[in-house]
Formats: sequence, structure tokens, C-alpha cells
Amino acid sequence: MIRYLAKRGITYVFMIFLTTSAGYFLAVSSLKPALLEQERIPRPTPEQVANSMRLKGLDPDLSPWERYVEWLTGIVTRWDWGRSPNGSFINAEFGDRVWISTRLFLAAIILTLVIGVALGVYSAARQYKFQDRAITSYSYLAYIVPAPIAYFLVQLGAININETVGERIFFVTGISTPGMQPGWAQFVDMVAHYAVPTIAITLVGWGSYQIAQRQYLLDNVNADFVRTARAKGLTRNQAITRHALRVSFIPVAQSIAFTIPAIFAGGFFAEKIFAWPGVGSWSIDAISLQDVNAATATLAYGSVIFALGAILADFATTLVDPRVRVQ
Amino acid sequence: MSTFLEPADPAPTAAERLHIAGLHSPSDAVLSVRDLNVSFNSENGAVNAVRGVNFDLMPGKTLGIVGESGSGKSVTSLAILGLLPATAEISGSVRLKGKELLGLSDKAMCAYRGNDIAMVFQDPLSSLTPVYTVGTQIIEALTIHNPGMSKSAKETRAVELLAMVGIPSPRNRLKAFPHEFSGGMRQRVMIAIAIANNPRVLIADEPTTALDVTIQAQVLEVLHKAQEETGAAVVMITHDLGVVAGIADDIMVMYAGKPVETGSVDDIYYDPRMPYTMGLLGAVPRVDVVEKSSLVPIDGIPPNLLHTPTGCSFAPRCPLVTDACLDGEPSLSPVPGTGYHQAACIKSGSLGGDVDVHEIFSAPPVPVSRFDLIPRGERSTVLELKDVRKHFPLTKGALLKRRIGTVKAVDGLSFDIREGECFSIVGESGSGKTTTLLEIMEFHKDQDGEVIIGGISNKQAADAKTKSAMRREMQMVFQDPTGALDPRFTVYEVLAEPLQNAGFSRPDIKKRIMELMNLVGLQPDHVNRFPNQFSGGQRQRVGIARALAVNPKLVVLDEPVSALDVSVQAGVINLLDKLRAELGLSYLMVAHDLSVVRHISDRVAVMYLGKIVEIGEVDRVFDNPRHPYTRALLSAIPVPDPQFERTRERIILQGDLPSPLDAPKGCNFATRCPVFAALPAAKQEKCLTLEPPLEAVRASAAAQALAAGPVPPSDQQFACFFPDGELDEDMLVVHKTAEPHAP
Repeated sequence: MIRYLAKRGITYVFMIFLTTSAGYFLAVSSLKPALLEQERIPRPTPEQVANSMRLKGLDPDLSPWERYVEWLTGIVTRWDWGRSPNGSFINAEFGDRVWISTRLFLAAIILTLVIGVALGVYSAARQYKFQDRAITSYSYLAYIVPAPIAYFLVQLGAININETVGERIFFVTGISTPGMQPGWAQFVDMVAHYAVPTIAITLVGWGSYQIAQRQYLLDNVNADFVRTARAKGLTRNQAITRHALRVSFIPVAQSIAFTIPAIFAGGFFAEKIFAWPGVGSWSIDAISLQDVNAATATLAYGSVIFALGAILADFATTLVDPRVRVQ
Repeated sequence: MSTFLEPADPAPTAAERLHIAGLHSPSDAVLSVRDLNVSFNSENGAVNAVRGVNFDLMPGKTLGIVGESGSGKSVTSLAILGLLPATAEISGSVRLKGKELLGLSDKAMCAYRGNDIAMVFQDPLSSLTPVYTVGTQIIEALTIHNPGMSKSAKETRAVELLAMVGIPSPRNRLKAFPHEFSGGMRQRVMIAIAIANNPRVLIADEPTTALDVTIQAQVLEVLHKAQEETGAAVVMITHDLGVVAGIADDIMVMYAGKPVETGSVDDIYYDPRMPYTMGLLGAVPRVDVVEKSSLVPIDGIPPNLLHTPTGCSFAPRCPLVTDACLDGEPSLSPVPGTGYHQAACIKSGSLGGDVDVHEIFSAPPVPVSRFDLIPRGERSTVLELKDVRKHFPLTKGALLKRRIGTVKAVDGLSFDIREGECFSIVGESGSGKTTTLLEIMEFHKDQDGEVIIGGISNKQAADAKTKSAMRREMQMVFQDPTGALDPRFTVYEVLAEPLQNAGFSRPDIKKRIMELMNLVGLQPDHVNRFPNQFSGGQRQRVGIARALAVNPKLVVLDEPVSALDVSVQAGVINLLDKLRAELGLSYLMVAHDLSVVRHISDRVAVMYLGKIVEIGEVDRVFDNPRHPYTRALLSAIPVPDPQFERTRERIILQGDLPSPLDAPKGCNFATRCPVFAALPAAKQEKCLTLEPPLEAVRASAAAQALAAGPVPPSDQQFACFFPDGELDEDMLVVHKTAEPHAP
């Protein structure tokens, strides 16, 4: 297993290197931060701009290849991912933003998974009954409604509650109120900030898991091995929970494993709408701000997350399905 | 649920009254079924899947329920166990040791299922949960009914059970997952689970249908042993009249959801009184009979169970039908002058032992081909294989592939087929039969070995023209008629396609299609129907018509009747026989059913792990098998003859077909050979190191076997060093215990 993982790991490292390098060349040849500098007032001379860029390691006069070598040397020798045109260091910025994204998505995704899978099992056990129809219809609705609209709706709902009560219970944007004393008040403030985005992301997210889990379980409830389990003396429900559920969980486990690392990569819409400055919004901002190094760094980070997801999915499959265990 | 199971009703219920009226004392019956009815609601109305099943099962006895697909036999067994979906409407009475089971909740039934009454299902590949070990699944069955049992006691019992069903090194195998077992092994595990709690009743639903004959023999033996050990009564559900002949005490024949004939096994096999039973028995070819006669075809298809029949449900297919038959459905009534033999036919009294079933069903005369009179050597060759090989490399590694072995799927095959001849290849799955067919169909010059079809060799098959000329010489009929026909093509389009490819003109195509429809016994006005509007047998006829469209000389038949019901199968076999004689066709057939092979073939080759181990005229090979594998294969075929089955000596091969990777260096068969096992070490050495060549049977041996009459020259060949060696006693089984049923 370790040998297998090492092999997979090496393959992924190679792939990440390729995507990142390709991404860097794309960014360095299309993003021109110097153009933005020229819009400042008073307008700097081209020499001033070039000079300030050169100081940040973003010399526009060097060829893409020279900049690539310089950039790569920085990463390999000093683990330095360079600087933004505004002078901030990518390394420092990155840590903060990953942490923000993680906090925004962690609770929401765990809730999404648990609720989605549980509702999938519940609705499969009541196929075509009212509960099943209601839950599954909702899931399809959540599937089609674009995420930003759903987020806005939840925000509106929270604002409505605030207005009805006449007091601000929920914060619809932001991470925390600055200047709070540590203790109970800070905790309440944190919950008030977390509630809206967490609920919004969860409400939108669980649909796909519910649909998948329901479908896979229904494929298995009438399987021959469930009948065998019943013939042994298990009731129908026992046979389904002990035998069909585990088998139907195999494909779901794979998709879950893929999702977990995505928590750290954040999401653009949620971060923008709820005003949490995480990795997702950063990656889009980097492009509009002509930030070569930040754009490449988020791309590299995305590749790493994807590779981790793939390896985790392999792990998850091996864990739940004995048929694919590697000898 | 039925009204007469209302607990509030104090008067004796209808079910109880039926019990009282039972023909022979049901008090000691372990399982007693009365007036069982099951119907399902479908979009088109209620489907009456089971209608009025009655039987009593005595402890330790075996009841065989025989019927074709859709006759309600599986639904009956599932209804007894309470495993039908909640939408099924069940009425009647099922009593286990006097306790009523029908109407119990799922939870209440759980106390009986797997404890007093257990079941073995048809498909062992899908009947075990893939994600749990075999041990877990056996122990689960123990835990459910013995919550107090200690962990180690359960494990000991599980090992004991696995050993009982014949799984080698049972303690280690407990930790194995189902996918690490072969089909036969998985069915053994299923039996182990079923007998874990010493059930009083064991229901086996087609337990061997999905298995090879040699494995079928093993599994039947295990079932027999399990019954001996537990003393359970067995209900054996099957469509194969041979399987139950040797093991059943009583037989119930079902048709259209209703029992149509019941009685002791001898009554049913030797004195059938219901035309359907008679037809079924006549429709099965026998592997042990030389005499060639046509099989008894039963025309038509089973009735639609949506409509309650107004007369005998078999009447539309019955050759003896009269107006009286259509007037009310006959009930099971005792056959005059017998014990408890019952038949649901108004004429059962007059259908005594001297009635010839071939006459009743007007079986066609044995067709005579114009080639029959010409000696084989003087007929021209239509197909010849010279040393054909197909080896698949087995590789390991993702990026850099290393060759770790070779699978010799076909290893040096040579045979020829003459005009007007049917040549069959038999063997277990994995023996290379299908690969051989594929190699012939492939017809490419880079193949290893030479294939000559109608004088065209694959070595010269360079251009498309030669290839299409070859395709006109040879056509194929596939196993699954449903899968082989495009569902969106009408029959006309199916048949027109090969003709268009062959360049026929439009009017010619139309004429030819009408000819073909008549030829295969389909109504010409059905050409515009789609395949799903036909029954299985009719679809296979369309498949045959398609193959014959371009007038080939050779037709390759890949398991042509294995997907069909017995009564339909007979019609298709007769058709194939007739076409061969009328059109002078040659057949190359692959089949696992040796009875069918014996019936239709002139010559046969027995394959084992890619090699022919015995080849020759079918009657010679089957009557005087020389290779131990052929002997084992033949002895594994159940024969629909209870007397013969009870006394015959069987060779039960041990284990499965070895993986081609583990194939021994010398004789492939040595690992399972009953002769090899009994040989002294010195001779064993020869088997293990030298590969036995195919050699002709010495005249003396053949002459001894066919002492009567002059000995014609034989072309029987076999590949074994010690054909006359003694058989290992462990692999020989005779059931002397079974005695004819007391009347």
C-alpha cells in the first residue's frame, strides 16, 4: 500500500509541476501589472513603474522564461512564491486566506455530507412515498438554482428575521466584529457570523449527496445478497442497513473523499457574497489585479488539493470495498 | 391478506378446513402448504403468479418442484419464506410444524427464516454480500438465531460448516471475501449459511443452474450430504428434470402458476398422466441413449397470467385438446388406480403407460440428409483448423509491463468438419470453446495456425473480397437471442441486412425473406414486427433465419438453446436438425449441455484448458469414453430417469478448473484427474512431465466395447497415458440409500 501510494504521489507531483508551470507561462505572458500602475494618480513614469516592479521581482522587461527560472528558483531554494504588485508576500497572504476558507467551509461541508447521506438513506427507504418525493424534489431544485441566488435568498431571509425581531441576530457578511472581548460575547458574535453562510452552503450542497446516496441504495435494496440476508433471518430494514447500505456507500465514499480537500480551496461565490476573503475570492481577484504570482500560487494549490482528493478517494474505496484492495 | 386469516374469526378457517381435508395425514408434515395463491398488481391488472398450490413435506424427504420459467415455482418458495415484496397479495396457508406462517409480520417471520426454514438461491455470484468476508456472513446467520453463543463457539461452528460443504482449509477461508471464491465455492458457502442452524426445511431454488456440470455434480452432492447431516426436508426447485430425478421423493409439476401433476418420482417419470408432463419428459434429450428420435416439441407459449383461464391452461398447446378441456379449469384429482398420484387433466385416466408421447405431440420424423449415405471420408471439407493457437500474455505493472505468464486459451487445435455434419465442442466454462469460435470468426492471416473455410485459407485472406466470400460460407447463431437482435430493427430489416451486403436486389431480398420465414417456421406476415414482440424461441428462429439468409455452408452455433425453456428448446433443436438435412448444412456447435450435443451432433470434441482431450464420433465418445475427463463429464450429467440415477456411479471431480496460469507442465488434467490420483508415484511422474498426445483408440478396446456387429473404422482419439487406470475411490459416489417411494 505504501509503495502504491508513493507511486501515485510521484505521478501527482509531476502533474502538479506541469500544470503549475504551464499556468505560470500563461499568467506571465497575459497579465501585465504594469498597466494598472499607470492608472495611478499622479501618473508614475514608465521608469518608475518598471523600477517598482523590479523591486518586487516582477520585472516586465525580462523574458517569460527568465522570469520563470527566477520564480522557480525562489520556490525551490527558499520556498518563496514571490510577491504581489501591491508588495505583499504571497506566502504570508496565503496562510491567512486558506485558514479563512477553511473556517467558512468546514462546518458547512460536514453538515452537507451528513445531512445529504442521511436523507438519501431515509428517502430510499421510503421510495415514492410523500417524504421521498418532497426531499428528492428539493434536492433537484437545489441542483438547478444557481448557488449565488440561493446564497442571496438565505441572506434575505436572515435580514428578514433580524427586522422582524427588531434586533440584529445574524450577521449576513463578514467574519467577526472587530474589537470584541474574548469570552462569551465573542463566542456569540462568532456564531452570529457563522450561521448564515454555513446554513446557506449546507442548504445548497446536500442535494447532490442525497440524490446519489438514494440512487445507489435503491440499486441495492433488491439485490440478491439482501434477499440472502433476509433469508438468514434479518428483517428487511436490518438487511438493508447491514448489507445494502455498505455496498451503496462505495461510490458515495469516493465522491466524499474528493470533496474533503476542497474545503480548503474555498469557493468564489460564497466568499464574495458573505465577504469572507478566502482563497476562492483571492484567485479571481488575482486575475483582475494582474497578479501573476498569486494566480499561479492558487492554481498550484488547486492542483495539490485535487491530487489529495484523488488519493483520498483511492483510500476511501479501499477502505469500504475489499474487492479493490491492493495486494 | 386473505380474509380467512382474520384472527377474530372463531370458526375453523377455510385453510384449516382444507388441512382437515388433506389427502394424507398432514399432522406429521414439517411443512404443509394449502391453497397458496399469489398475485401481483401490475399496470395491466393482477398477475396471478401462483394459483392453488398444495403440498405436504415430510421430514427428511425431498420434494422437487419442476416447471418452466414463469410457472410460479420461485414465487411459491419466496411466498413460503415471506420474501415477496409487500405489494404481493398472498392467500392460503403455509404451516411449518403446525404453525401458520402466512400473515406473520416481517419481524415475526425472522424467527423462522434461517432457523427452521432456510433457502439457497440460484445465482451464487450475486447472492453473497461483496463487502463482508465469508466468515462474517456465516457467523451472522448464527448470531441472529443464537444471540447467546460465544464468539469462539460461532467461529468453530463456521469452520465446521465450511468443512462440511467441502471447502479446503476452512479456517483460513473464513477471512476470504466472496470474490475470492469461484461460483461453485460460493454456492457451497450459500449452503453452509442455509444449514447453519440445522433447518427443518431447506428450499433450494435452481441451486445449480448457473454452474458447470462438473460443479453442478459437486454442489448436488454437497446438498445431499447437508440433507443427510441435518435431516432436513428439502424443496428442490428446478427446470431440469434430470437434476431432481435422482434426489427427489416426490415431484410437483407446475404450469401457469398451478400444480398440474403431483406424485412420487416414479409416478411422474414412468407414468405421467398430464400431457404437459409427458411433453416435458419427451422434450429433454438424453445423454445416455443412442437411438436417434426427434424430440417432442410443445408448440406455443405458456399463457398470460393476467387472465384467469376459463379452461385448462395447457389447452392451447395440448395436442389432445377437446371441447371439454375448455370448459372450466380441471383441478388436481387422483389418477385412477394409483396411490396419491394426481393430475389436473380430464383425460388422465386414459393416458396410461402405453401411450406414445411422440405420437401425441406428433414429433416430426427423423430427418435424413442426402449426405448421411456418403461415407465421411468422401465428403468435402467445409472447415479445417490446423494447429490453431491463441495465447494471451498476462502482464503486470502500470507503466512498464512485464510478462508474468501466458494464458493458453486455445493451444494447438486441429479438426475438420465435413459437409452435412454437426461437430460439437464441449467443456466447462474456461476451457476455450468460445475463444475457438472467435478465432474462426476472426479469420486473419496473422493468426497462429491455419483456418480453412470452404477452401479459403486465412493465410491468403488479404483482401476484403476474400473475407466477404468467406462470410458467405459461414454464419453464426448466438446464445442469447434477445441480445443478438437489434431491438429497433424489424425482422424484415434484420433479415435484409446480410442480403443487402451480399448484393441482392430489392425484389430478391423480399422473396428470400419470405422463404426464410417459412423455412424456420415463422409466419411470413410477422416480418414487420420487432424482436420484443416474439417469444424467446421465436427470436432464436429469427436468429437462425438471419444466419441462413446468404445460404452458408457452415453455421456456427454458440450455445443455441441454452437460453430457452425445455419445451421451446425441443422445437429449436428439431428445426436445426431439419435444416441440416434439407439444406445440407454443416454445424459447428459449442454447448455445455451434453444431452443436446449427443442428440444433434455427429462428432464431438471435448476440450480442457485449451486442448482437445478427446475427439470422435459422438456415439463412440459418449458410450466408450476413454479420457478420464470425458468420463467425469459424462457421469456428471443428470439423466431424467430416477432408477438409473439412483444406482449410477458418479465421478465427482474435485475442485474447479485450474487457473490457466497454474496449468501443469505435463497433462493439463492431472490436478483433478481421478485416474492420476490412484496411480502409483512412478506413473504419476509421467503424467506430470510429459504431455499426452492425441492418439487413436486401439481397435481392440473399441471392439470390446462394441462387441456386437462388425467394427467400423473409428476416428476416436484421446490424450491420456492411462485410460484404463483405476479411478480414485474418493471421487466415486454411489447413492445406495435412496429407494423407490413406497406406494
